[in-house]
Amino acid sequence: MVKWEYSESIESDSIVSIQDKYGHFIDGKFSTPNSKNYLKTVSPSTEEVLASISIGNKKDVDKAVNAAKEGFKRWSKTTPSERAKYLYKLARLIQERSREFAVLESMDGGKPIKESRDFDLPQVASNFFYFAGWADKLDISWGAKEMKPYGVVGQIIPWNFPLLMLAWKVAPALATGNTVVLKPAETTPLTALLFAELCEEVGLPKGVFNLVTGDGTTGAELVNHEGISKIAFTGSTSVGKYIQNAVGERDIGLTLELGGKAANIVYNDAALDQAVEGVVNGIFFNQGHVCCAGSRLLLQEDIHDEFINKLEKRMQTLRVGNPLDKNTDIGAINSKEQLDKITSLVNEGVNDGGELFQIECELPSSGYWYRPSLFTNVQPSYNIAREEIFGPVLTTLTFRTPEEAVEIANNTEYGLSAGIWTEKGSKILWTADRLDAGVIWANTFNKFDPSSPFGGYKESGFGREGGRHGLLSYLKVRS
Amino acid sequence: MTEIKKTYKNYVDGKYVRSESGKTYTVELKSESYELPLTSKKDLRDAVTSSKSGFDSWNKLSQYNRTQIIYRLSEMIEGNRDSYVEILLDYGLTKAAANKDIDNAINTIVWYAGLADKWEQLTGNLNPVVGEYFNISHQEPIGVVFSLNSTEISIDKLLSSFLPALSIGCSVINLSEKNAVLSLKLAEDINNSDLPSGALNLLSGDFSKILDDVSRHVEINALASYKKLNKENLKIINENASTSVKRIFHLPSEEGLSSILPFIETKTVWHPKGR
Repeated sequence: MVKWEYSESIESDSIVSIQDKYGHFIDGKFSTPNSKNYLKTVSPSTEEVLASISIGNKKDVDKAVNAAKEGFKRWSKTTPSERAKYLYKLARLIQERSREFAVLESMDGGKPIKESRDFDLPQVASNFFYFAGWADKLDISWGAKEMKPYGVVGQIIPWNFPLLMLAWKVAPALATGNTVVLKPAETTPLTALLFAELCEEVGLPKGVFNLVTGDGTTGAELVNHEGISKIAFTGSTSVGKYIQNAVGERDIGLTLELGGKAANIVYNDAALDQAVEGVVNGIFFNQGHVCCAGSRLLLQEDIHDEFINKLEKRMQTLRVGNPLDKNTDIGAINSKEQLDKITSLVNEGVNDGGELFQIECELPSSGYWYRPSLFTNVQPSYNIAREEIFGPVLTTLTFRTPEEAVEIANNTEYGLSAGIWTEKGSKILWTADRLDAGVIWANTFNKFDPSSPFGGYKESGFGREGGRHGLLSYLKVRS
Repeated sequence: MTEIKKTYKNYVDGKYVRSESGKTYTVELKSESYELPLTSKKDLRDAVTSSKSGFDSWNKLSQYNRTQIIYRLSEMIEGNRDSYVEILLDYGLTKAAANKDIDNAINTIVWYAGLADKWEQLTGNLNPVVGEYFNISHQEPIGVVFSLNSTEISIDKLLSSFLPALSIGCSVINLSEKNAVLSLKLAEDINNSDLPSGALNLLSGDFSKILDDVSRHVEINALASYKKLNKENLKIINENASTSVKRIFHLPSEEGLSSILPFIETKTVWHPKGR
């Protein structure tokens, strides 16, 4: 195969300015934390320290929740149309400063600039635009006689799409009249902190959006706070279960968007080259740090060898390296901790008897990296076929009949997403009807839109984000 | 002539059964005293097994067919109005109130009968995504639902605690406590309405005795309580439910479109457009 050399094309980081140390954003302004504990957020591609972030404690959370309670009174007095305008203004500002956000996202989280620039940021802006438009149409959205916001919503978001997950949470919550206390992930807080500046800039009423940085202890303080009327969480199934447990005797709202182990089913009548592209995008998008990643490749037995051959060739063209290089396909693994987890699960897969293919490529000397990897010869009982690896690792299983494909696909506690590849329309519909998954991509994968509901079946959580259905996660409805 | 008294039993898998434990509890009403099955953990597990297969058989029927089966229940109740009124009077309602409750109950059934083949049009939709994609949010019933009836003495309220889930294709295990004479009586008309076995199981007993198992059972997909629960019970339920991310609904809406929303899973399907 011809080896193509690419010249570097590095996006400049001079557009961003990062402070040494950040406080929390509470009651419309940044303030000095009560907590004296800080953690360092590092660039996973260089291991350079970018900034110090406060680990918010009980008093910090308390202050934020109280501000959100007062903010709720103000927000409830603004008209729906005014609320819409604030969100439209935020959307506009995000668009204007999109490049700055994209660079910061790639620096703090390690994702390739072509993804943060062409996927994350456009989606962030479109989520604010989309939900802005619902703010003054809630009465006709579900034809309800009565609909009320919850009040103060506690939101906890993950590190894989830091600003996009903020948008998925904050835009619908504010559009429906709630106020927010948001805790971003400990490894990727910087774009959320920059977003807080925009809230100040658009003059969002005080206390409507509050941000407390920190780690799991901060999240626990938020989840257990008596002043919270609803919790919205995106993250691992184990933390989701902890949160549902912690709700305990409180009669509050809860939506969970948890893990996944999606089956990407390729039938023998699929357009194979397109399917290869879709399978690559399905697992290697964002280093595989995607809850809906197509991490289980289900191949119909008679195309196994041909497909794997094509797939390995395609994988070998993936470029791993500097997230700020516009040619990069696969950036850095988000943290040392995540890299260790991926490494350990892959080692386990090899020990279990799986056959491992990893692409040949040079990896940068510092930072956290993992080669795009493919397992074949895997038994469904192996952990690599059951557990969410959350990295650039694809596991292959085979099937003979559509019935068997569906059975294997559904043989998991998860039910977030699935993929179907076939040129036969009736087989797509037949398969889609039988898959336990909240999002199904047929002859495509990893497509997102603010108007399209997203969320899981089974232990992948409950509630939907996005679309008309996403409004229900933030409204109490009687119709 | 000696008066013959009816034995009230649970209705599980299309059959009338006693509790396997042999235990009963007494509901003392104005003129009569009733011995009702005290549902045990084993009874609950049997009901779940039945509901699993009931879900499949209920969903094999077309929505048009389901509409007719639910409608038939209203015909059955109308035909047996007097026997319901008698029980309601025994529970202490006035004759006017009892008849009003039956009127309401029939209206409720007629409403949900007509919803069975329309709910997806009211809750699902195409999504206007950017790009050349067909994107539809299809609506599916969540599966096996356990519902706890309210404490009110009302056929209408009883129906409102299972028809929302049942009408959209879920199978339901419904538990009534002190007002269970109503639901065990209703079982006879359910049985005569051609509802497939296991689509609806009607139990009597004490929720606090089985709530641990209900909230822990992984094959129950959702738990809806139409009775206000105390904090202690809510705590146990949330803790147990968290082990399998079970959906919990405390005092859900009892009427209108909002009544079915807890029992829906939204499945969104994407496909590219092209030539």
